[in-house]
Parts: sequence; structure tokens; C-alpha cells
Amino acid sequence: MERLCIGVSGINAVDNPGPGVGVIRSLKEDKDLKIEAIGLAYDAMEPGIYMDWLVDKAFVLPYPSSSEEEYIGRLIYLKDKVGLDMIIPTLDAEMPLYIKAAPLLESQGIKTFLPTKEQFDLRGKTKLPQVAKKIGLKMPKTKTIASYQDLMKAIEEIGLPVMVKGVFYKAYRAYTYQEAVGYFRQIVAEWGYPVVVQQVVTGEEMNVIGVGDGLGNDLGLVAIKKLWITSLGKIWTGVTVKNDVLLKAAKKFVQKFNWKGAFELECIVSADDVYLIEINPRFPAWVYFATGVGVNLPATMVKTAFGLPLKSPRDYPAGKLYVRYTYDIVTDMSVFQNIITKGER
Amino acid sequence: MERLKQLAISEEGFIFDPVTGNSFTTNGTGLFILEALKEGREEKEIVDLLTEEYGIDKESASRDLMDFMEQLRSYRLI
Repeated sequence: MERLCIGVSGINAVDNPGPGVGVIRSLKEDKDLKIEAIGLAYDAMEPGIYMDWLVDKAFVLPYPSSSEEEYIGRLIYLKDKVGLDMIIPTLDAEMPLYIKAAPLLESQGIKTFLPTKEQFDLRGKTKLPQVAKKIGLKMPKTKTIASYQDLMKAIEEIGLPVMVKGVFYKAYRAYTYQEAVGYFRQIVAEWGYPVVVQQVVTGEEMNVIGVGDGLGNDLGLVAIKKLWITSLGKIWTGVTVKNDVLLKAAKKFVQKFNWKGAFELECIVSADDVYLIEINPRFPAWVYFATGVGVNLPATMVKTAFGLPLKSPRDYPAGKLYVRYTYDIVTDMSVFQNIITKGER
Repeated sequence: MERLKQLAISEEGFIFDPVTGNSFTTNGTGLFILEALKEGREEKEIVDLLTEEYGIDKESASRDLMDFMEQLRSYRLI
């Protein structure tokens, strides 16, 4: 098996962890693949840079919001320098740029495995109700608003408490009119209009991770329930579940939309009702949980991208526990120095 | 009793529901009742079994069984 050089972003294994380290760990654990992992970082302090037992080389990239030309230029430099064969972007803010640049990167010999622009747009909160309906899930009552008057009307209709959300990012729970107005202004200032006001639904928080092949087939699905979350809402302990409604919805999602690439469906299960809360068009930070129960999605994605043989889809058992923990590394200052001065390790 | 058949129940009385991800614990009597329910036994039959197994009167057995079943219902396990 030829060695594949794979660039992975999101190696910020911090309190709000990126998925990168879990993706790399999954790739390295696949017995059929020989992977050289290139960590793509945005800050010299991203812990993945220092995890040399997983991340073979690390490079700092310019922010995707800076200049597209500069960003792509840096990736092409990496192609020349280390022979980058594929990139797995894992951060929300990177996705539009990578989706747009996918053909250009492909022409340079750098593969990606990403949703199309149309598929990516499905995750917008204004489109979610249509997606939920098509895949047999419910949606909390949702109003898209663009003014203070709309906000008041939406709260009257939905009733407090409500979630006040940006179309793509940020979500706050407001218990009073005053709080809702505060969050509304905050979101408008940061992300602009429209803003989404949504009913608060209570129940079990369950998520599904999967990869679609772009032709309507899924390359593996794993459903989990969050048992313990951090103050930032990030999973710290979880358990695998076999919830038929949830798994069937994920299958339908891949089939109906010919979804290509990784995804996560965030849902709330309340008795027999399953509500769709969010679609993430990338691997979640707990991606290694699926690998640990026998469904190695990053490896399957890489194999599919390169046309390598796949093993038959693996099932997983319910009742497997996931526990995160913290770890400490003590290393030499020279690594930090290299990253700061040269942008690479 | 379809839901009951899906549950993973250990000998120590640890119950895991693979559909919801919830887990519960119960004592020996709870386990005894769960086993009987999984076998498809009628409530009246289970009362007789409890009377025999634990040497209690039918009234207490019936009350305890009702309480336990109510708890299972509240957790949506039956």
C-alpha cells in the first residue's frame, strides 16, 4: 500500500475541540492505510501541533476569511513540500472555501470529499424544516425574523423560553423578552440578518455521524446519546444507541440529497418524537467514538476518495461508552519556535 | 412487551436501553419481575410467582408488582 499524505485541520484539541485529532487517530488506526498525517493549524498553540505521535508534520495556514488566493497558495506550497494527496477540512468556517476550491485543488492533485454548495446550503436554519420533513423528522416551531417587531411576534407565537439563533452560527436560550432582544442584537451585530427564533424542545440529545458517497449511499452511520456535556455543550461522555427513527432519518438524508462527505445530525428525542436541531457538514469532534466501535468513517472516506477497496459496512453495538479525558505534554520550546518563525513543524 | 426484549439486563440488575441510551438499576425482585415479563407471563401469574418465591401474601405481591410496572411505564420501558 502506497503512503498517502493527508492534511487534516481542526487539530485544536482544546475545551471546544476540533475534530482533527480524532480524524487523524482514526486514519492511523486503519490497518489497510499507510498515512502521513499533516496537521493544518491556525494558531501556534493548537495542541495537535505538539502531538507528534499522531501528527507527523504540522503547518500554520492563513485564516480562511483572509485572502482566498493566499490560502490556496499555502496549500499548493504544502503539495510541493510534503506531497499532500488529500485534505479533510473539519471546521465550519473553512467549508465554503474548500467547497468552492475543490475543483482547483483536484487539478493540483489534492483530493477532497465534500458536499456540493447546494448540499452545504441545506444546513442553513431556514432550509432545515424542509430537510426535516423529507427525512421524516420533526422540527421545533421556527420563525425567521429580520426586525424587532418580528422578534416580538415570534415570541408571542412560540412562547418563552425560545432559542435565538444565527442562520449558521450561534444559538442562545432566552427566558425573557429582554434576554431575547439582547441575543437578537448580538447575533445581528456579529452575523447580520436574518435571525431564527425557535421553540425550545426538551428530551434526550442524540446525534448521528455518517459519510455519504454522493450517490445516495451511506458509508457507515453511528448514533450516540450525550450523557455528559461540558459548560460549552461539548460531549464528554456518551453512549452508542440504536434508535431506529434516527438511523433511518440519517439514511434517508444521504439518499434523498445524495449527500457527499461527512456529516452529523444533531437531534433531540422526546418520547417517540425526534426533532432535527442542526446539520453539521463535517465530522464532529467525537468522530473517534465511531472508530472505536468499529465504524472508521475517516478511513472509509479516504479509501472511497482514492477508489480503494472497502470492507463491507460495519455495524456497531449499542451500549458502548465514550469517555474523554485530558492529557499533558511537556516538550521543547524549539517546536513552538519553529511554528512561530517558520509556520511549520 | 417488545420494548422489554430490547433491553440489555445484567445479572447484577443493571439495565441498558439501547434505543434511548438510558440506564437503570434494579434489585433482585425487580429482576425477577422483568424476567417474568420478558417470558410473556400475565400479571396474575407473576403475583403467584412472587408469592411463592418470596413467601409474601398475594395482596403485597400484587401491590408491589403494580408499583414496579408503573415505574416501568413512567420510564417508557413497557
